[in-house]
This record gives sequence, structure tokens and C-alpha cells, in this order.
Amino acid sequence: MIVGDLKPLEEIVSAVKDYKQVLVLGCGSCVTVCLSGGEKEAEQLGRQLSEVRHYQGPPPKFEVGCIIRQCEKDLVHDYQEIPPGTDALLSLACGAGVQTLADVYEPLPVIPALNTTFLGASDKPGTWTEKCKGCGDCILIHTGGICPIARCAKSLFNGPCGGSRGGYCEVGQGTPCAWTQIVARLKKMDRLRCYEEIRTSKDWTPGGASGVRRRVRTGLAEESKNR
Amino acid sequence: MSYFIVNEKCNGCLACVENCPAAALDFIDQNDGRTLKHNMTRCARCGQCWRVCPQDAIEFQHLLEGEWDDVITLDLIHCRVCGEPLYSPAFLKKIEGELNSEGETLCPQHRQSEAAAKLLHSKPGKTGLQPGAK
Repeated sequence: MIVGDLKPLEEIVSAVKDYKQVLVLGCGSCVTVCLSGGEKEAEQLGRQLSEVRHYQGPPPKFEVGCIIRQCEKDLVHDYQEIPPGTDALLSLACGAGVQTLADVYEPLPVIPALNTTFLGASDKPGTWTEKCKGCGDCILIHTGGICPIARCAKSLFNGPCGGSRGGYCEVGQGTPCAWTQIVARLKKMDRLRCYEEIRTSKDWTPGGASGVRRRVRTGLAEESKNR
Repeated sequence: MSYFIVNEKCNGCLACVENCPAAALDFIDQNDGRTLKHNMTRCARCGQCWRVCPQDAIEFQHLLEGEWDDVITLDLIHCRVCGEPLYSPAFLKKIEGELNSEGETLCPQHRQSEAAAKLLHSKPGKTGLQPGAK
């Protein structure tokens, strides 16, 4: 899922202080599950931002809402009500959600309340770890299901660097060396030959190197109504 | 109850069934009737059904703002002073077992005030205990 982190409160206050009425809008999917931008977080942020001590003048009025996904234009357009008098939106969605709101409600300013951080998975309750860079050309079949692009600090392709010590990466913070993990996994799978195979250099074009990526699913796009 | 609700414009064309990416919609033709079926545990609430429906028959708002379902109703123990609801008898039994002591059915506020009263009564002069007495 997409993992996001709430921006520092001071940064958000600084962004909203000049508006009169702000809708704090949570997103009901990824950022709800990673406990950073759902309905509860939106309500909490609304309460925190309403405290007068943050402002020199009168604080803005904060309304709170949440929609299941902010990243779908038609859904947002048809089902998200904007209270009358709202002069800015504060979105707790990922960057995709923020931009969708900005498109739908132009020229209303849309302020991001989160920093979108990574594509990750939950290894244990309350902990999310980056697992995927969205490179567009998945090589997990060769690496035992462990991505060296996302999980090696240098995104190395051909084995560990000299900074790998005792199974850990030199960047510290208890970060495992992805290549140590890959080799161990391949051994268990009896597929170490994958490690020894010579592969052609990676084409980074599908990873966004050639501009904005777009996908059209044949059939659905043509059949859908123009909502 | 079903959260997937269609209005009177539904003509049973099955566009929603065919386009549901989560296979959460199905249908049964039986005797003289066609029944549209929805499985909430499969539904991703992605809205594709609503998008493709040529009849504008799908009332997707019911999948966004649903009613609350009752899950279970248990007996409730209340604070013996103010009557504030506390917990179920089963929860109390579990806590008593883990603490190896009999639980007091008091809310936090009255637990605190009773503890304070006990402390007051245990002070020298109040209970008859003398300084230095063991």
C-alpha cells in the first residue's frame, strides 16, 4: 500500500493560517490502514488545528470529512460535499489524492497534510516497510521475492557491496542487507543459479524515466460513461 | 442486509456483473426471475459497477455510508456508585484471574475517590493507629 506520514503540525498550521474555513479531508484507503490519513486522523488533526494558540489572529474554522478514495475523480466529484464557505481543502491523502482534489475543485487551494513516503507492506502491527519502487519491470522472480531496488540502500543489482556486515547494511538503523536476504532466500529455494545468471542491464523506461506513466484498460475506459 | 442497492432503472443487463473486478457480483436465473447477487466480503467498493452501469441504476452512496450492524450484545456491569457502564462479566472474570484478586466494580473516578477515602481513614488519629505502631 501507499504509506504516508503526517507533516509537522507547524508546517500545516503555516499553510492553513490565512484561510477562513478549511475542510480537513481524510482518505479511506491506504492512509487509513497505515494510520496516518483516515477519518480518525482527520478528526484529530482538525481538533489540533482548532487550538487558538497556533495563531496570532482568529483561527480558521475546520470542518472534517473522509471519502473512501481521494484518487478517483468521478467518485470525489459525485460524492464529496464541500461545505459552503470552504476556502481551502486540507487533504490527508497521498500525492495522487491531493492532485485529484486539486483537479476536481480548481481553483480551490488543496493543501497536503501528509508526506507520501513509500510503497510498503506491514511486517508486523504498526510497522510498515518499503518494499517496492514501482520500477515497472519487476525482477522479483530472480531475487527470491525480495526487491533489491527498494530494499538495498544503493539499489544494487548484482550482489552486496562492501558495506554489508553480518547481514546488515552500513546505513545502520538495523537495516538488513537486501542482498544477504536474497542469497539466503535463494539458497532455501534451491535457486542460487538465479544469482549467478548474467542478465541484461535494466531498462528504466517503464519506471517513469520517459515521463508520466498512464495505463488504459481496454474495454472499461470506452464502455464507462463520461462521468 | 445488502449495501449494494439498485433503483427501479435496473433492467438486469448484467454490465455490473461482467465488469466487477472483484467478482463480488453474480446473478441467478431461476424459473421466471433473474436475481442480482452481491457479496460484501468480496467487494472492493471500487465503483466500477457504478461507472459502467448504462442505466444509472446503482446507488453507490449506500456502499459509502452504510448503517451499523449489531455484532454481539453482552451483559454489562455498572459502577456501583454512579452506574456508569464498565465492562462485561466475562471481561471482569478475565481481569480478576490475571490480577488474582477480586475486581471492584467502580469507574475510574470513584475508584480514585474511594482509594483517597481509604487513605484518609488510615491516617494516624483517624484509625486509632499510633505513630510508630507496627
